Amino acid sequence: MKAVRIIALKQDRKRLLEHLQDSALVHVKHTEVQDGFQRTDTSSQLRQFEKNAELMEKSLKILGNIAPEKKGFLSGFKGRREIDSDEIGKIALQSGRMIGICGKISKLDAQITDNTAEQARIRTLLAQLEPWKKLDIPLNTSDTASMAVLIGTLPKEYDDTSLAEVLAEKDPELVFETEVIYSSSNLTSVVVYTPKQQKDRAELLLRGIGFSRPLNPTSKTPLDKAKRLTQKSADLKEKNEELKNEIAKYAEYRDSIRDTQDYFELRAEKYRVIAELDQSEHIFVLNGYIPEEDCGKLETICQKIPSCVLEFEEADENAPVKLKNNKFAEPAESIVTMYSPPSHDDIDPTPVLAFFFYFFFGMMFSDAGYGLLLVIATAIGIKVFKPDKKMYNNLKLFQYCGISTIFWGLIFGSVFGDAPVVFYKLFTGNEITMKQLMPWMLDTQKDALFIMIMSIAFGLVHVLVGMGCKFYVCLKQKKYAEAFFDTGLWMMLLVGFAILAAGMAIGQILVYIGAGIAIACAVGLVLTQGREKKGIFGKLIGGVASLYDITSYVSDLLSYSRLLALGLTTGVMAQVFNMLSTLMGTSVIGILFMIVIFIAGHAITIGLNALGSYVHTMRLQYVEMFSKFYEGGGRPFEPFSLKSKNFKIKNTDD
Amino acid sequence: MGMIFTIVGIAIATVLAGIGSAKGVGAAAQAAMGVLSEDSSMFGKMLVLTLLPGTQGLYGFIVAFLMLIGAGVLGGGDTVTWQQGLAYLGASLSVGIGGLVSGIAQGKAAVAGISMCAKDEKNFSKAMVSITLVEIYALLAFIVSLLTVISIPNITF
Repeated sequence: MKAVRIIALKQDRKRLLEHLQDSALVHVKHTEVQDGFQRTDTSSQLRQFEKNAELMEKSLKILGNIAPEKKGFLSGFKGRREIDSDEIGKIALQSGRMIGICGKISKLDAQITDNTAEQARIRTLLAQLEPWKKLDIPLNTSDTASMAVLIGTLPKEYDDTSLAEVLAEKDPELVFETEVIYSSSNLTSVVVYTPKQQKDRAELLLRGIGFSRPLNPTSKTPLDKAKRLTQKSADLKEKNEELKNEIAKYAEYRDSIRDTQDYFELRAEKYRVIAELDQSEHIFVLNGYIPEEDCGKLETICQKIPSCVLEFEEADENAPVKLKNNKFAEPAESIVTMYSPPSHDDIDPTPVLAFFFYFFFGMMFSDAGYGLLLVIATAIGIKVFKPDKKMYNNLKLFQYCGISTIFWGLIFGSVFGDAPVVFYKLFTGNEITMKQLMPWMLDTQKDALFIMIMSIAFGLVHVLVGMGCKFYVCLKQKKYAEAFFDTGLWMMLLVGFAILAAGMAIGQILVYIGAGIAIACAVGLVLTQGREKKGIFGKLIGGVASLYDITSYVSDLLSYSRLLALGLTTGVMAQVFNMLSTLMGTSVIGILFMIVIFIAGHAITIGLNALGSYVHTMRLQYVEMFSKFYEGGGRPFEPFSLKSKNFKIKNTDD
Repeated sequence: MGMIFTIVGIAIATVLAGIGSAKGVGAAAQAAMGVLSEDSSMFGKMLVLTLLPGTQGLYGFIVAFLMLIGAGVLGGGDTVTWQQGLAYLGASLSVGIGGLVSGIAQGKAAVAGISMCAKDEKNFSKAMVSITLVEIYALLAFIVSLLTVISIPNITF
């Protein structure tokens, strides 16, 4: 990585920035403004662009809800559309119109929201009217010349007789007539008639048993009112449909809106960079980082602008990190960045990780048939969808994993489980075993113990490689004590144990050699691990205590038994579905049944086990290997570029 | 007699581990649906996190299947002595109980992982790895059951 300073005349600013954005070579550095220079405040334009882009986004979402797009199931793999740089001009021209359309869409949508809220309000009103439906006078009926009319609810169940009893008991002298309109266990709607001069008395009495006037009294009878409200609600619903249709009419602009959204994102990105430029009266300066191999390309671009001057220097510690790997390892970069990009002190772990990722994934998925499907599917995906770099790498990742899966499937004698054997027997009646078909195979069930030892041995190699990386990093930083004492001795100790274990199976002599190495290393650890402590006892105790770390190595290694467990899971699940699929024999129905069960069953097996293999492989890398040497925490290299979701501009130079 | 013990063992392996996974996946799925109701574009990630506690049930099922084959329940031919039957029953306990408890524990971890991922999608891989930390104990239980089941026909009682 190099640091670069680009200086040019102000009049060339627009052109230069466009070239830089198209080429995506330079990561813009955030610096303090230098003496004698000024910065342009672009925040108001920036806000405008961002607001427009958000409006587009919102409109697309509204359109998506109301007029869903017919999308292919796999369209997510598709790469961005390529357009000519002239087309950008057209998009810019129509952007004003698109803002108008999106404004309309969101306005219509706001109306729909309002109407829906109104409908909800009407539903509440209707619910309130429910107890009054049988009342044939308006709720706000006032008193007649001589009669007082009290309309309201009581919080208990009454009928005319029981209510009359209650009232008469409390005030025997009161003259009244009741009419219960509606009654349920906790609500009674009632109209009470009483002579006008007794009105206050009656009201007081009624309030004593919880009487309250209805909410929202109106001058229409409740039934009329309910009818009107229902009608209004229906109207609103119709109105909403109309509004939705109106919005749906704009669906044809969807692609243009997307383009416009991208266009505003691009402009916003550019203005963010402009805000970082140091400007004087005539010139401007851009500070950034650029990968070493791209320096030449940048020079060619800048030659197009006569006033432009470039200055390169060595990058400082804060420089962003761009991973660079060969074709084999590159797809695994995403796995590394998902954890964290390497810091300045780290080495790039991708090549090591890539190999073990493919290897372990294959061992867990371990079926030649599934592997072949994976390879074919990813190859078709790459061919048909022409995906962007990122998706391309993901597909490639699984393609390599697929190849490894085929390899391990052949070793474990699994092709769609034991499908060849099962179908051979079904159609010919003769017994045959996978072992006869593939004499070299290891049976995951019968040789489980051996495969488990093999898994742990692979784990040992994996852990040792991780520690080897640590050793290398320490040497590079000239931390020799850490390299030899903290890492080297542990590596030798593990190797010693491995030789000892192998010796138990092979020959006595190896046991002695292994034990010798292990003891020597353990003594070495006791002597060196306490070196930071004070006093001879402190040093010794520190050294002895460090041996306790052996438990963490043991648990790390045991963790690799998952290679066996997941490999076996795939095999057995496939076997189960093969068995189920042959249950109905070889009649026509039986064959149909077989095809359905076979396809569905293996689809389930593939789904579950591919997920399991992916997750567990990743865990083995992150937890068991990365913990040995990898720090992470670097900043990814994010060049000033066209961060568009929808289109990319065709590179006219090459 | 031996066959009865074996069948009980098969049930224990499948059902207990299955309950563990069902509880774990159930809890995770509830949390995931909460997240999806806000942002349906996270479906893929949520699916992965939800399925993680589902493996215990599979392990239990696989041990049960190997017992079905090993003891000849499917063929109906082999005879299983009562000692062997008890041994199968014993072998099923490891994956059954191990799967039950670890499945529930992993479900809780998955719920936490899902809410972490909902806050920031970048946390996805960290959540995923943290959830698989629980898995090792289910795996150990599975491997113990597995190795026992495979060796039972060769043991002399």
